[in-house]
Amino acid sequence: MSSTPVIDVERLNLAYGDFHAVKDLSFQVRRGEFYALLGTNGAGKTSTLEAVEGHRLPTSGTVRVFGQNPRDRRAVRPRTGIMLQESGFSPDLTVRESVRLIGSLTRRTDKVERVLDIVGLTRKAGTKVSQLSGGEKRRLDFATAVYGAPELIFLDEPTTGLDIQARDDLWDAVDKLREDGSTIVLTTHYLEEAQQRADRIGLMHEGVFHKEGSVVELTRTLPATIRFSLPVPAPEPPLQAVRESDGTFLIETPDLQKDLHALLRWAQDHAVELRELAAGPTRLDDVFRSIGSDQTTF
Amino acid sequence: MPSIALGELIQIFRNRLVLVTMLVLPAASSAFYIYLNQQFTIVDLGGVAAILVFLVVAMGLYATTVTTLASRRQNLFLKRLRSTALGDAGILTGLLLPVTGITLAQVAVILTVLGVVAGGPANVLLLAVAVLSTVAMMLGLGLATAGLTNSPEHAQVTTLPIMIGTLALSGWVGFTGTEELTLFKRLLPGGSATELLVNAWNGGTPVMDSLVLLVPTLGWVVVAVALAARIFRWEPRR
Repeated sequence: MSSTPVIDVERLNLAYGDFHAVKDLSFQVRRGEFYALLGTNGAGKTSTLEAVEGHRLPTSGTVRVFGQNPRDRRAVRPRTGIMLQESGFSPDLTVRESVRLIGSLTRRTDKVERVLDIVGLTRKAGTKVSQLSGGEKRRLDFATAVYGAPELIFLDEPTTGLDIQARDDLWDAVDKLREDGSTIVLTTHYLEEAQQRADRIGLMHEGVFHKEGSVVELTRTLPATIRFSLPVPAPEPPLQAVRESDGTFLIETPDLQKDLHALLRWAQDHAVELRELAAGPTRLDDVFRSIGSDQTTF
Repeated sequence: MPSIALGELIQIFRNRLVLVTMLVLPAASSAFYIYLNQQFTIVDLGGVAAILVFLVVAMGLYATTVTTLASRRQNLFLKRLRSTALGDAGILTGLLLPVTGITLAQVAVILTVLGVVAGGPANVLLLAVAVLSTVAMMLGLGLATAGLTNSPEHAQVTTLPIMIGTLALSGWVGFTGTEELTLFKRLLPGGSATELLVNAWNGGTPVMDSLVLLVPTLGWVVVAVALAARIFRWEPRR
């Protein structure tokens, strides 16, 4: 068993002129892991991803992929599938021609038909790329990334522009690749995707990790929430319930189980109906909002 | 690399604009020129051959090289190719192989027509060397120009100086020779290449004297490639 991480980033710095996009960033991604790189706009995640993919030369620091320099394409790319954020296909080539061309250049072997079937583009095989919709182009991009089932797959905002069905299909395909041991690195704007699927999350803000860890670790530091509304008239609710502008009540609690129990007992005792009751741990959205509010205090 | 070349070839034949710029324009002007020269002999045959070669490499090869690279960069196709296992040299070779091959075939056809109509070249081997060095120079200049070109539309402007410049120079040298302003004419890009083409077609000049003319042309290849290495961009400016 080799314990070498698939991706090893150490003190990565990326600067464009005066702008320091990424500062002393270090992280590792282990074999078979699903790692999500998240962040606000301009947080440096695309720059980081491009350095790890080998598209961008670090200003300083080291990036290793499979123990190699990611800019050594001949060594690294046959084992790596890359789904770019923007398409980059030749408009005059057909879907089939594009997959065959890019697929063959990865040095992996696969069948064009198999890959097109995975992304549901079989009927569009003879269509020129210029005639595809935005979502279809994303699927074509995904098809080239998973051609030959590589060990490591980069997905840069893969589901942007996809309808729900296509999104589910894409994640099904990713799940299958994971079963076969592929390592996944994801960036996305859809936090629930990262929350549901990622083993670990690197949450970037202004070029550094604001937080890094599993979803549980990330959300643990923030209180859980209970929301409900009350019929009028109703007795004053217990605990530290804050009345929101829309009339609902919000309780933030470090001990969800105990406080939820207390609330339910209060409702039972006073024969009050708790409407639209919702309770749960903090979501990633809230972690994001907490970054935003940190920022405004500066 | 062969798969990129095949992809490019498919695209060339699907895109009418490229096909017209690359094939029809140089071929039509060459035909017209040969016809004109048959009617009134303006220059000696070597001069005609040199001007024909430059019509094809400047209007066809050079302009298409710049336009192709700018367009592939603009729609991020270059970045996509760089996401594969292929190296930069392989990518550029694959992209430029078809247009280079078509250019060489075109030059061969046009010069053969000229030879059949008006009489063949004195030294075919030297002629081939002259054509190949000219093609290499225009490819290098095309790579460098592509570094300064943001989009295929922009290429219509950025290619003008070198396209017009080399065409004018080949005409100038073709018509007037290099008796006067020798060094000046030979050092400009395309000057010595034209003279070499003229010598190869007309004969009468010692081969060694002609081979010296390769030096400025190959010098321009080196300058152009060094320049391209500094200014060529693989992704659009953000």
